[in-house]
Amino acid sequence: MNEPNQALTVPVAEEHEINSVQLRLSEVTVQVLIIFILLTALIAVTGWWDPNFFSRFNLRSIARDTAIWSLFALGQGIVIISGGIDLSVGSLICFFGVSAIILLESGVSFPIVLLIVFGAAAVIGMIHGILISRLDLQPFLVTLCSLLTFRGLARVLTHDQTASFDAAEHPLFRALATWSWWGIPMPVFLLVAVLIPLGFFMHCTVPGRYMYAIGANAEAARYSGVRVGLLRTWSYVLCTMLTAVAALLEAADVGSVPPSSAGMAYEMYGITGAVLGGCALRGGRGSLIGVVLGMAILRVVKSAVIFLGISTYWTFAVTGLVLLGAVIVDSAIRQRRAK
Amino acid sequence: MKPLLELRSISKSFPGVRALRDVSLSLNSGEVLALVGENGAGKSTLLKILGGILQPDKGGVRIEQQHCHLPSARSANALGIQLIHQELNLADDLNVAENIFLGRQPSRGPRWLSMTDRRTLHAQSAQLLQRVGLGVSTRSLVRSLSIGERQLVEVAKALSADARILVFDEPTSSLSLTETNRLLCVVEQLRDRGVAIIYVTHRLKEVIRLADRVAVLRDGQHVGTLTGADVTLRSMVDLMVGREIQHFFHKTNHRIGEGPPALEVRNLQPKAASYSVNFAIRRGEIVGFAGLIGSGRTALARALFGVDSPCGGEIRIDGRSVRIRNPTDAISAGIVLVPEDRKTCGVLLQLSICFNVALAALPRLGRFGWYNRTAETALARRFQGELGIRTPSLRHMASVLSGGNQQKVVLAKWLALRPKVLILDEPTRGVDVGAKSEIYRLIFDLASRGMAVMMISSEMDEIVGVADRVIVMHEGRIAGELTGNRIGESSIMELAVGT
Repeated sequence: MNEPNQALTVPVAEEHEINSVQLRLSEVTVQVLIIFILLTALIAVTGWWDPNFFSRFNLRSIARDTAIWSLFALGQGIVIISGGIDLSVGSLICFFGVSAIILLESGVSFPIVLLIVFGAAAVIGMIHGILISRLDLQPFLVTLCSLLTFRGLARVLTHDQTASFDAAEHPLFRALATWSWWGIPMPVFLLVAVLIPLGFFMHCTVPGRYMYAIGANAEAARYSGVRVGLLRTWSYVLCTMLTAVAALLEAADVGSVPPSSAGMAYEMYGITGAVLGGCALRGGRGSLIGVVLGMAILRVVKSAVIFLGISTYWTFAVTGLVLLGAVIVDSAIRQRRAK
Repeated sequence: MKPLLELRSISKSFPGVRALRDVSLSLNSGEVLALVGENGAGKSTLLKILGGILQPDKGGVRIEQQHCHLPSARSANALGIQLIHQELNLADDLNVAENIFLGRQPSRGPRWLSMTDRRTLHAQSAQLLQRVGLGVSTRSLVRSLSIGERQLVEVAKALSADARILVFDEPTSSLSLTETNRLLCVVEQLRDRGVAIIYVTHRLKEVIRLADRVAVLRDGQHVGTLTGADVTLRSMVDLMVGREIQHFFHKTNHRIGEGPPALEVRNLQPKAASYSVNFAIRRGEIVGFAGLIGSGRTALARALFGVDSPCGGEIRIDGRSVRIRNPTDAISAGIVLVPEDRKTCGVLLQLSICFNVALAALPRLGRFGWYNRTAETALARRFQGELGIRTPSLRHMASVLSGGNQQKVVLAKWLALRPKVLILDEPTRGVDVGAKSEIYRLIFDLASRGMAVMMISSEMDEIVGVADRVIVMHEGRIAGELTGNRIGESSIMELAVGT
């Protein structure tokens, strides 16, 4: 048996390393950069293939759709960052759209309609939040129930007939989606008006930082005095309210809401966009600007499929592969950085 | 006698770290070799190499004089090496027998339609359970067993695979005293039957009881082996830290404050249908809470901190009655808790060290709920200095820290609030010796600055060495109180077991 020398001492050389400041881009910044490069590349390739991609009409419709989708995706992003998930988005888009049109057509004035829809949205979000934080039900299940319930309610309210409104009679409502200034459509302004305060909320306020803490470890956050239940509820209220905004814009844009198909799978768009934009599904990580870029990618892919002359049936498959690629690249980068 | 297992000059590096340098060990059958060292000394790396999970850069493993190649966990198992991990690898929803023979169930019938032979399965399992002294049915679900019982199932599982070399990694870290004793007896029996055992633990008392030889690792090197009478607490600690720790518990003569107690608890009922509890802690006083696991100490701490809302009773801070419904209430009343389970309730592992330190103080750092990043960094830097949190950068995720440094982060989080009452639940669990003595020094320092400290601990020497007064709990109620010279391990134990 060979035993090493007992008197061996090892100098501990760590003091100088301890104080050195490391300059590293934060993980989220890297992610946003990657997604931005991906988006630029996608646009460049498609535009090079067919310059019609850069037509004013196409760019405007991409901007408008991206803005509308981003609105509900931002809500989804906040819910995901705080460790939850909201599957009810698509059905609520349909439900709020249908309700708004029915109310308008029955003669309720536009501001009152807004009030009713946002009021309902706040209540629904609060119910989600309370069921999840007070009764400790799983977010997936609670919002899955809403996904079914509100799709059903929308179909009941309309007797499964497409709800539509007369643009001439409701110019204000119509203008939500069609009005533009210097060629920039209204939804883009609305998105910016929402994104800036939300960004400030998430990144520059204590409750916003606590959203990340809850997503990272709700139990430890609670043990640190964070009002986990309250903030969680808030995240669902925000998500549902933003969904209501998107629902109104979508209804105003399309002009009609078919209750069986409107908003179908939008919750999946929102989740896809949020993940593309760097939100971790287990919570605690993500940025709002990334979510918007993620949604832009989704929309550009949809357009690119058409301009590149691929059948539109491919849209979902291509989106799925883009997401898979992004997830793989992200995980590879994180593993390298972890070393 | 030829050794059964030899590790020869094993070295292993990870990017940036040399985890093991030229480590050689040997092990005979029928022998318990204890492996001790501070966190990060290289114990787990060595175990992983032995278990076939990692490959050494240099050096090799020999079993019965034969050079062995261990490319995978499966190959290590085939050679009779079984690891029993700290985190148990059992399927909660399968029964005991199914877990023991997981993946190797006795089967009958033709190969293409082999069915589990339940009778053999349960008969063999029952035999194995008897060998490890576990009196539960082979049909009970693992979920329904206590942690100690699960540990024994894990041992039975290892035995069922004909283990010649059993490796225990911190087996008793979450066991109660009785469960620990039972496990130690099983280990002794296995040794007497000729199994070679490597036993890794932070609990040096167990080492003294069990080990025939003790190998000490420090900074990836094997710095010494102790045998026989040389195995003492002192000699092990000295080898582990590489310096003599003087005054491990340097009890200071801090003054205990006059006036109304900082914390007074009247008829507090921590949970429905539990006993009510009365006690008080003065400013500058350290009160140890001793007792067996499950004696109600953690439930009491959780009630005081508002994690579970208590059922009746009164809590007074500085003589003023306060109402505590949730941790937020407790914090604003001046009560904070360093929880027992650091990884799930203490730190946010994937967020930055900075954020973890400032987490609770954030609302006070900025006005109007504004997030003040500059103040956050300044606060973290201050506590990094004060508590000696060892990290390359405060922007790193908290998961890179060792257990001791994570605990310092949790402490820093609370000290930033200047609390009146500090509740510590097992403050040094999973913390290495060096950081332990730093934490004790900190506790004394806080008490001398007037903080009231309630320290729950299952480590006797810690309670005896740190506390000014000891309250012993037994089955949910206070069994007795010890002060001054009457604080001793035997007097505490008597009260704790309820004689």
